[in-house]
Amino acid sequence: MANYGMLIDTKKCIGCYACRTACQRQNDLLPDEAFIRFEEREIGTYPNVRVQHVPLQCMHCENAPCVDVCPTGAARYGTDGIVEVDQGRCIGCLYCVAACPYQVRVRNSETGAVDKCRFCTVNALNGTKTCTCVEACLTGCRIFGDLDDPDSEISKAIAETGAAPIAGDLTKAKIYYVR
Amino acid sequence: MSENAITRRSFLAGSAGVAAVAATVGFTSFGAWQSAQAEEEATPGRTDTVHTLCNACSSKCGYTAYVVDGKLTKLIGDPNNPNSEGHLCARGYGYSQIAYSKDRLTDPLKKNAQGQFEAISWDQAYAEIAEKVQEIIASDGPEALALVQDPRPSGSYYCNRFIAALGSPNTYTHGAACNLSKVSGITQAIGAGDWVSDVENSAMTMFIGRSYCDGIRPSQVAALKRAHENGAYIVMIDPRCSNSTVFADEWVPIVPGTDLAFVLAMSNVLIKNHLYDAEFVAANSVGFDEWAAATENCTPQWAEKITGIPADTIERLAAAFAEAAPAASIEPSWRGAYGCAYANSGETARTVALFNTLLGSWNQPGGALLTSGISAGKLEDPRFAAPPKIEAKKLGSAEYPLASGSMGSAVYAGEMAKTGAIKGMFFYYSNMAAGYSNPEYLANAFANLDLMVVCDVQMSETAALADYVLPETSYLERSELPEFGGGKVPYVALRSQVLDVIHPNTKSCDQIFTELAEACGVGQYFEFTQEELAEAQLNTVGLTLDGLMKVGTVQFPEKAFVYGKQPTFNTPTKKVQFVSEACAKAGLSPYPVWIEPQDPVPDGEFRLVGGKQAIMTHTQTANIPELMNIAEEYGLMRPWINPVDAEALGIKDNDEIVVENDLHSGTSKVRVTERIAPGVVYLPSHYGCTVPEQHTAYNKGLRIMDFVPFHIEPAYGSTMSQNTTVKIKKVGA
Amino acid sequence: MTFEPIWGSIIAWYLFLAGLGGGAYVSVTFLRWRHPEAITMIRIGRFIAPIVVIVGLCLLMLDATAGFHHPLRFALLLSNFGSVMTWGVVFLGVFVVIALIGAGLCLAKRSVPMWLDILGAIFGICVAVYTGCLLGVCKTFPLWNNALLPILFLVSAMSTGMAAVLAVGVFRCPEEFNRVMAFKKLHYIFPIIEIVLVAALLFVTAFNASPSGYESVMSLVCGKHALVFWLVFVIIGLVLPTAIETWLLFFTSEEYERGKTAHIASFCSNAGVLIGGFVLRLLVLVAAMPIVLVTPWY
Repeated sequence: MANYGMLIDTKKCIGCYACRTACQRQNDLLPDEAFIRFEEREIGTYPNVRVQHVPLQCMHCENAPCVDVCPTGAARYGTDGIVEVDQGRCIGCLYCVAACPYQVRVRNSETGAVDKCRFCTVNALNGTKTCTCVEACLTGCRIFGDLDDPDSEISKAIAETGAAPIAGDLTKAKIYYVR
Repeated sequence: MSENAITRRSFLAGSAGVAAVAATVGFTSFGAWQSAQAEEEATPGRTDTVHTLCNACSSKCGYTAYVVDGKLTKLIGDPNNPNSEGHLCARGYGYSQIAYSKDRLTDPLKKNAQGQFEAISWDQAYAEIAEKVQEIIASDGPEALALVQDPRPSGSYYCNRFIAALGSPNTYTHGAACNLSKVSGITQAIGAGDWVSDVENSAMTMFIGRSYCDGIRPSQVAALKRAHENGAYIVMIDPRCSNSTVFADEWVPIVPGTDLAFVLAMSNVLIKNHLYDAEFVAANSVGFDEWAAATENCTPQWAEKITGIPADTIERLAAAFAEAAPAASIEPSWRGAYGCAYANSGETARTVALFNTLLGSWNQPGGALLTSGISAGKLEDPRFAAPPKIEAKKLGSAEYPLASGSMGSAVYAGEMAKTGAIKGMFFYYSNMAAGYSNPEYLANAFANLDLMVVCDVQMSETAALADYVLPETSYLERSELPEFGGGKVPYVALRSQVLDVIHPNTKSCDQIFTELAEACGVGQYFEFTQEELAEAQLNTVGLTLDGLMKVGTVQFPEKAFVYGKQPTFNTPTKKVQFVSEACAKAGLSPYPVWIEPQDPVPDGEFRLVGGKQAIMTHTQTANIPELMNIAEEYGLMRPWINPVDAEALGIKDNDEIVVENDLHSGTSKVRVTERIAPGVVYLPSHYGCTVPEQHTAYNKGLRIMDFVPFHIEPAYGSTMSQNTTVKIKKVGA
Repeated sequence: MTFEPIWGSIIAWYLFLAGLGGGAYVSVTFLRWRHPEAITMIRIGRFIAPIVVIVGLCLLMLDATAGFHHPLRFALLLSNFGSVMTWGVVFLGVFVVIALIGAGLCLAKRSVPMWLDILGAIFGICVAVYTGCLLGVCKTFPLWNNALLPILFLVSAMSTGMAAVLAVGVFRCPEEFNRVMAFKKLHYIFPIIEIVLVAALLFVTAFNASPSGYESVMSLVCGKHALVFWLVFVIIGLVLPTAIETWLLFFTSEEYERGKTAHIASFCSNAGVLIGGFVLRLLVLVAAMPIVLVTPWY
């Protein structure tokens, strides 16, 4: 069984929102429903300024607060380390939305249920091989793969770059950031 | 060549070149589409895939559209398309939803006596428009007709042919509000309107006002990233710290409109210190000595006072360029800082081209590449023959003689509508009234017209002013003529129909202009279908329409650019012109010298600059909910000001502010950011829609052109889109 | 990115009504112990408790849109006993059953066993504490993620529950109202404790490691929620009731205290407590700013 994770190299992210809109099309989301959000930081003061864009999405945490608080079991650990939302169990109480430290869970305004990044690699079909955000990224700042396989591209990249989850050990998040 | 469904033989037999493409480029090979075919057949009735071209901006990126049970699902960039290189940008994904927009135009509209639009039949629209066209021709001649378009493959062909068939020379593109000065200025220097900076192989590349990562073409973003990884020294000259600075080694903020002084001073450093390629200049140019003498005083110290860039920075950058040359260049830019922005934009472009000449970087690896394109050959079929040549000159070509002939000054056409010299105007996919110059001026000008016809997919500000609005199918519901493109490797790409027509009473561009021509009595120039024309055009380069549809894009590697090729300069002297007779004739200095960009900025006022954001194009995408949601979530509609200015005005981030000048006043939340130079306000160019019919975009944000007076750049004919200042204060202050 | 509060006024109503219901049942039990003769007032409490909690639960279900569209999904609510909400469902469920039995026996004019009322009071307190813990376990919000909040909500719940019983009682049974001095004195101290707890909560939150704690507090004391915070919550909800009750309990004659004016003043005081109780929930919901995890990398 795999333990999927992702690496995002913020040194290459240009904050262009292509991953977000590609994901909306791939996953047939509503216009106001997006699985990827962004933080922008300005580093330094004029004129010595640097910009950093940080895309955030479900981190598929090993200690997922959403799973902890979900009263109906809709938020749950699926196979291969992917955190799922069973749309048929979700009552839309938004407790998981409040509990998620990364603010990456969104309510579907039509069904009322909560949804979030699905690591859509697992059902990549028809022209996609991995997560749409990974394939769509204009600068190739994302790598998807098996964290438990030391020979995977992502494991090697994490070792090489020292990438780390955004909030340290907070939730044992599985998206690693190069910053 | 076979008209039937493609066979391996008919596809490959066209030319050896295509065979070579197919053999060497994986995705254009027959094998690739054959396996794609097999995949489709394996799951019949579920998913259709169509290669097409995006229409979210002018880059026309190739992608594969996936259609499940008739509905568009995902979009995947075609790896063999040189613009997309397998990727699309946010606009591309978002704008695909235009097909399903609730605000689509669905029927031909006519404005009634009360100023309200009412739906009419196509026949009525054609008949009434034709009648007015004939009246105008009878009273004022065909020169009183004009057409403005934002060029698209079929649009360019059909619009130009339609106006030419009516006997008018007056076709204009949106260039006057985009890249007219840049193209025209560069042409004066090197005889071509553009070059490709070989960013990824360069030792140093400088960008002036252009941001690959904000006005996105995916292949350029990838090239910039590779340049950064290859260790190229990338410099961004821009009052705004754009997103491209992620891949830059240096951001050098500059006083808006003073890029000319900066490039003159860098040139001065190269000349003074004999750091330029004297051999190349001597062999390939005219007028160098005169220019060198005339710009002797354009020292870095002189430029520091104008540009705000320290003299030693200018010295250092010029020296770094000399060190890096010839694998170095200033990127040609597009709209950026001198596409159409200031009174000195054309001359800035000319100087940038001359600076690259000093570097001797033409056609050198990592330098500035004069690439060529591919175009359809001569069509033998008499049906495709051009309408009779028109003797009259395009309006504006005398007043703005340097303006590129293929673009023309659409802004001047606006002025001629005001004066009454133009009586009838057609607009194809052009929102001139909101984006080209001062909207109030243009609305008054267009009110003078006897006939105003707009063809678009949604109710734009321009359409709202029209007498007749003709609803076009969205780009996903129509096929277009092949796109012949240039670059390092020339290519041909095709927009194919992805979706069935959604609104039955909408028509495609080719159909509209063909039928309109018939109604106007010039149908004899349109006695062919778009497919026939496309087939004929493609046959001249050894392709078939069916074959191209199967792969979307075909490249021509045998026509690829070759490094080191002796550059040819298509100027009157066949050399790089440090001195231009045409410029002198047009009233400018024969060699580029410093020109003030605008009147002095009054105390306490801000220079206003525009610029793209990665999620929007012009004013056409703001009504897409997916994209507008991003703008709203992240406050992208806010003007930017520097914290120093904000503090002086008692303004905090996200405060409500008033932006005003003599022309306009508006309020908005503000973004206080270190990413903008003091004394400058950046206002994104996409917002402030005034048409209630655009339910998503209406009344959101400020419209930059409201703050820009109607004026035209001398000699070049551009709109001077940033030649203005504004005051800023906190609401209630 | 701008942050929009996750929960709004519907959930504020729910948190308020659930606490109020719990407090009302505690009132019943307390009255039965110290003022067994205040039969009408005890009855009032018995009816208030189940009614407001059921209304609150209906609001909760309305807000949980996906469940509202598919009511059967609410049956899944007992799936995860690691979730505070699941425990809340248990507490609320048991409480509503007890409160309904109590109200039913009362309607049937039968006596309610004391053990049932003690159990009701315990579950009432559980419900009140739960409403605070529900927010308290959300680590992202410094204003919520502290041990003071459940205590504050408990105190506010007791205060509002008693205020509701007194506000109805002062008109339905003025005679009993005049006699329940121990109850009124107990009720008197809650807003005072609340003032202390709110001050402590704001101080602790403002000094949270994340700047969002400070931002949350500032939005309450001098930002966009300042007017509601000071005028409605502090003045109307805490200071005014305390002032009125202080005046009535310590500075007026017993005779005056039994008069019409005093009753109206007392009603106003209790109404203030109720308004303050709702506004407290609302402010805590909308003023809480999440921790921003992304910090610059120098």
